[in-house]
Amino acid sequence: MTADLVKPRPHSALLDYLRLEVRRTLRDTGFVVFGIGMPVLMYLLFTNLGASGEDAGAWKTSAMVGMAAYGALGAALGTGTAVADDRAHGWLRQLRVTPLTPRQVVTGRALSGSVTVLPAIAAVLTAGALINGVRMDAWQWVALVLLLWLGALPFTLLGLGNGYRLSTQTTGVVNMICNMGLAVIGGLWFPSELFPGWLRTVSDYTPAHSFADLGWSTAEGAAPGATTVLVLCGWLLLFGAYAASSYRRSARTV
Amino acid sequence: MTTTTPAVDLSTAVRAFPSVTAVDGVDLRIERGETVALLGRNGAGKSTTLSLLLGLDEPDAGTVRLFGERPELAVRAGRVGAMLQDGRPIPRVTVRELVTFVGRTYPRPMPVAEALALAGLSEFADRRVDRLSGGQVQRVRFALALAGNPGLIVLDEPTAALDVEARHAFWKAMRGYARRGNTVLFSTHYLEEADANADRIVVIDHGRIVADGTGDDLKRRAGGTLVSFDLAGQDSGWLTSLPGVTAVEIRGERASLRSEDSDATVVALAGRGAVRALRVQPASLEDAFLALTTPDLELVR
Repeated sequence: MTADLVKPRPHSALLDYLRLEVRRTLRDTGFVVFGIGMPVLMYLLFTNLGASGEDAGAWKTSAMVGMAAYGALGAALGTGTAVADDRAHGWLRQLRVTPLTPRQVVTGRALSGSVTVLPAIAAVLTAGALINGVRMDAWQWVALVLLLWLGALPFTLLGLGNGYRLSTQTTGVVNMICNMGLAVIGGLWFPSELFPGWLRTVSDYTPAHSFADLGWSTAEGAAPGATTVLVLCGWLLLFGAYAASSYRRSARTV
Repeated sequence: MTTTTPAVDLSTAVRAFPSVTAVDGVDLRIERGETVALLGRNGAGKSTTLSLLLGLDEPDAGTVRLFGERPELAVRAGRVGAMLQDGRPIPRVTVRELVTFVGRTYPRPMPVAEALALAGLSEFADRRVDRLSGGQVQRVRFALALAGNPGLIVLDEPTAALDVEARHAFWKAMRGYARRGNTVLFSTHYLEEADANADRIVVIDHGRIVADGTGDDLKRRAGGTLVSFDLAGQDSGWLTSLPGVTAVEIRGERASLRSEDSDATVVALAGRGAVRALRVQPASLEDAFLALTTPDLELVR
């Protein structure tokens, strides 16, 4: 037993950190209720109250993608709120006096953020398939999960950028505003087709719209458009730079 | 060579902030296996010194080495564990999960059960960290410092805000860790704690080391003996001119004289009939500390 425990395990440190953080997130009642339950509830309400007729089926599919994206967006930003909380607890400082490198800590957090977007995506898609009877090819479901998962990365970085820069309370508020603002203007709650023309143009270039568009095109059986991918990559770079600059700033004080 | 490299070696380390030079040319060498207390008032430079030697902060001048390496490298190699001031363990994990995680970031951690036992946490192992009392939380933070089985642990005011019993348990655990041949450096502003738990006391004041030795050394350095008696209405102006007296303090009716030659002082007092409730005692560590450090004006009550 002792021999097993004293064996050096340098490569598992990142994985251990990832596991620890995912476990902590899933034990957070707020996350489970608001991060997973809320998108599912909103999806079921929006698609089953009032909406009927020929468009109902298409709306059930597009709203499913929109709400899964909304759930993923919230979970991704939530990682940043958690980081601000870690800082307030002195936990990041404590990690700095362990053999973990700063790079491992940041990577572990970004990865844990990526993992915690999955439950929301899975819950909304399951509700779509089982309750709302959304039907797609198997490859479409797989591609949908994969694209929504990968596409959430810019928002994880945006959340981390806020979390490393701002206080816990401010981060919570800012991330909440980002979450709502990006979701609404990106057309995740209501289709951007309902927006006035100018707002619709703006919406097309917002990160959340491009993100959900990955899923909408997949649901229609098409590959995501080049503009969508380009716009999202642009946001990825921007938010990545923001996160890096926030992290560097905090490293001096953490 | 390796066996003689000290665990801690600060050489004329300076760290200045815009408003204050927190560390002002500190030389500190700690051999392996020593237990050293860094004693000072609030704001004396204890935390900044510890930050420098943990690599959390960089000196403006001078060098800092742990086991002969730069602090970041020693930390990276898992040779250091620390209990930082004001840290609180993160919520929604159990004690065992947290100690296991931190231990496994080190190359050769001690078995988790052993770390928990040393810190007195065995019975709380599966409790969530956010559901522990203040004293238990402090023990968790101590367990995190030693989980990786590092050769040096640094504890920044480890017993602040603990009650007497928790404090007692804590120091017992610390001595247990030190007895294994490990090096321990802790900061405190409690004299008794430094005296009772360290082999050596380093007194820091205004960012400088003003004394370095055993508790007894410090007491000796503070200048011999304390002679006290009741003034009983007498004037006190003449006391400073008595033979041997280096300092006079009047508290209410009681006069305390610090004396380098208590015999001469007592004889002179007797000559003036000032012997009511006369007491002659060796200087305490507290006297030594007060003699060595100068209070900040704002801190004087």
